[in-house]
Amino acid sequence: MSTTTSSLTRSDWAARLLKPQYFIYYMFMLVLAGFALFLNDTGFFSLANFMNIVRQTAPITIMAVGLSFALAVGHIDLSIGSVVALSAIVGAILLQYVGVPLAIAGALLSGVLVGLINGFLIERLKVSSLLITLGTMGIITGISRQVSGLESIPIIDPLFRSLLGNGDLLGVPVLLWWTLSFALIGYLVMNKLVFGRHLLAVGGNPEAARAMGLRTENIRIKALVMCSLCAAIAGLLYAGRMAGARYTLGEADLLTVIAAVAIGGTSLFGGRVSIIGAVIGSWLMGLINNGLILSGFSTDEQMITRGLILITAVAIGAREAKNA
Amino acid sequence: MLRNELSQTILEVKEITKRFGGVEALRGVSFKVNKGEVVGLLGDNGAGKSTLVRCISGIHPPDEGEILIAGKAVKLDSPMDARKAGIETVFQDLAIIPEFDVVQNLYLNREILSTNPVLRWLGWLDAKAMAKRSQKSLNRLSSRIPSLSEKIVNLSGGQRQAVAIARAVSWGAEIVIMDEPTAALGVEQSAQVNELIKLISSQGVAVLLISHNMQHIMETCDRAVVLYQGRSSADVAIRDVDKNALVSLITGASGSLLAESA
Amino acid sequence: MRKLFIPLVCNLMLISQSAGATTIKEENFVTQLAQASKSSQIVINDEQASRLSGKRFTAALAWHGASPWINAVNRGASDTFERYGVKVLVTTDAQYDPAKQVADIENIQALNPDIVLSLVIDGVSAKAGFQKIVDAGSKLVLLSNPISGFVHGKDFAGIVTDDMQGMGNRAAEVTNEYLQGSGKIGMVFHDANYFITNTRDKAFVDGLALFPGIEIVSRQGFVKEHDTSAIASAMMLRNPELELIYVSWDTAAEGVVQALRSDGFNKVKVISHDLGVNNLLDMAQQGNMLASISDRPYEIGSTMARIALLAKLGESMPLFTLVPYDQVNKSNITEVWQHAYHTHVPRIIKIALGE
Repeated sequence: MSTTTSSLTRSDWAARLLKPQYFIYYMFMLVLAGFALFLNDTGFFSLANFMNIVRQTAPITIMAVGLSFALAVGHIDLSIGSVVALSAIVGAILLQYVGVPLAIAGALLSGVLVGLINGFLIERLKVSSLLITLGTMGIITGISRQVSGLESIPIIDPLFRSLLGNGDLLGVPVLLWWTLSFALIGYLVMNKLVFGRHLLAVGGNPEAARAMGLRTENIRIKALVMCSLCAAIAGLLYAGRMAGARYTLGEADLLTVIAAVAIGGTSLFGGRVSIIGAVIGSWLMGLINNGLILSGFSTDEQMITRGLILITAVAIGAREAKNA
Repeated sequence: MLRNELSQTILEVKEITKRFGGVEALRGVSFKVNKGEVVGLLGDNGAGKSTLVRCISGIHPPDEGEILIAGKAVKLDSPMDARKAGIETVFQDLAIIPEFDVVQNLYLNREILSTNPVLRWLGWLDAKAMAKRSQKSLNRLSSRIPSLSEKIVNLSGGQRQAVAIARAVSWGAEIVIMDEPTAALGVEQSAQVNELIKLISSQGVAVLLISHNMQHIMETCDRAVVLYQGRSSADVAIRDVDKNALVSLITGASGSLLAESA
Repeated sequence: MRKLFIPLVCNLMLISQSAGATTIKEENFVTQLAQASKSSQIVINDEQASRLSGKRFTAALAWHGASPWINAVNRGASDTFERYGVKVLVTTDAQYDPAKQVADIENIQALNPDIVLSLVIDGVSAKAGFQKIVDAGSKLVLLSNPISGFVHGKDFAGIVTDDMQGMGNRAAEVTNEYLQGSGKIGMVFHDANYFITNTRDKAFVDGLALFPGIEIVSRQGFVKEHDTSAIASAMMLRNPELELIYVSWDTAAEGVVQALRSDGFNKVKVISHDLGVNNLLDMAQQGNMLASISDRPYEIGSTMARIALLAKLGESMPLFTLVPYDQVNKSNITEVWQHAYHTHVPRIIKIALGE
């Protein structure tokens, strides 16, 4: 692109605005506008409702940021949902014995551990991440069920509950602060730090990355640890908001997270990542969910409409990507 | 030697042997490359060219024999070792990241970090500095790459080759190994790459060129080393031979012509 | 606390094709339920007990899933079996998957037990397997879900179920008592074809018909427990005047309580079924949870075991046997818990209750 000051031609502008990476924003605005019109008598278009959406979506957003790391290196991590439950349960149990900082540390450690195990198994055995994480997902869920005795483990610590759940800071829900913080960290790591550059290199062309001296195995393991760690953070946020931990937490989130990340413009096959896209994508999923519930549709109609919106989004996105 | 008496040997390969299981891919290969010299490495498929390149670029360390850089024996256990020793390899598949732009590829794994100590500790990239220096190194090669922020996928084959070569020489490599650099290119772009090879060799960089294309070998190389069934079977000055002679050396039709005798 | 998010795909029970005097038909199901026996009427007397001793029967327990609730059922059955010298060969957990349960039943068949207790996920797919077991002479006792086409007394000894009708009705009464005759409420119901929850939800709605001052202004279905939090938030956004929300069961109610709590609706009460630590804790701390109508899983298990044993002795057993329920509120948590589970109430609840 020439950087001369002469004005861009119309087609240049069109080409810029139609870049596939912007597509998610249009989709988001479109869905938002659609619901705002359709639900104008319901309080949908209100700050309180948007805060609801952000609060409900916070764990999804952070998982989406985490999954972006795994996808960057060309791995998928199916175990994130189970890590959410594990981390929440570990945190809730530890809270019965130790203070908040140690409980949080323990929960995060459980996430890191799972990431390391996933990473080592995938890289040592050279087996697809899909299969390994499918396996660890089962193992972790089993452990969570066992440890919790299938019961909900309540959290009564007020600090934990406000810090990671329903508290406010400067009039803004802490969950929004957490979401924005991790989104920012994810963005900076991916776009400004050498680590993110290497993740993308490994995902974009592993042979080339190795030839340039990158230790691809280590980088992939680190990516999986980041992914698991984010899932563990999401687990803590769930635990804080629900004031308890249960082995079913996160169970239903995997597909939502994958959809959010993919709609946001991240390649499911590695090398191309959009953190902002993942955040907006997760909010879009939350927005659709919230709007559909408010619409008064039956559960069946909600499922059908959600499916239609998603397919439309992906179809338009795929077209734009091809045209670009 | 074939060039002049003052030539300095930059790379010397001595009696290299490499086995894969029971198969001996290389059985005692030896040759030398001088500073600023362009040496063609020839041989039929399976003669051991690729294995030899991989040994020199640190991907497969040899089982026996040694590699000397400027007279000193070096141990090349990884591509990083080779790079530190001043050997850069431009692979057939170029080893570039298609989704990255030119600068990002040039600086892959050698990124310039911010000068701010805190940011540096975090691994913060200094994108401006990298762009500036990339421009310089590409200028040095008078390249025709349209924009440094262009993604590699949007470049032509010749432009990609130029990026890969620029990456090699911009790191101060003394020896650049090129594996079939023109194989996938059209006539005009091949000519550009040949110019580039001549340019860098005139700047003192030794080039080891692997090619099937006799025409390019004849046009660009000073000397040719021929591998035959895992051995170095000939080492000849290009001005002393013609295409047909090279072909018969490659196919093993004419006997050994080793440089030691020259 | 039953885990009820059974896949939508399983077309459950009650779709009977063949007509037969003692097979179960949807239309007369409620009537048959009304004629059910009480679990307290199923008694093994001394004479029967002495006949049982030395018989060394074997039993297999084929459950639909795993949860504290199922554990309690299982404990009730196992304790009873132990008392009468019955050896439990195997306990299976179908993980809410009808296909897994079919495989479980096939495995049980190989063990050739004298007694099989089961909660069948999908009567249609499980039928063939159970038929073989029954034909080999085993006595089958079912929990809640019937198998269509099975003949009472021949193919199965009886069905034990909690008093779903009574539970739903009772929830309506508690709602009325709290609202004192008038108010607006919301309902978060299980939107799947599942007999137990559907019956209880319907009984709640039917029960409310007696109290015309109480209006259900919003009804939202859910399929996964996970979704109830977002549903409750949206429901309150649209209907901030709601005073109470009914939720199909305890785990699903956790999400509703959480949403009310984080959205600041401290005055809105929640009523549900079954027992769960989290909501009991909320109840103990006088949070949003008003009351829960809970069944007695331990007693369900022990009743099933007694029916199986009596059937084995040749006694004829009633088609349906109902196990009573309890209404839980802050004052009787400990008592009801012990009733339902036959275990001690969790320490954390004791602490919250100040015991």
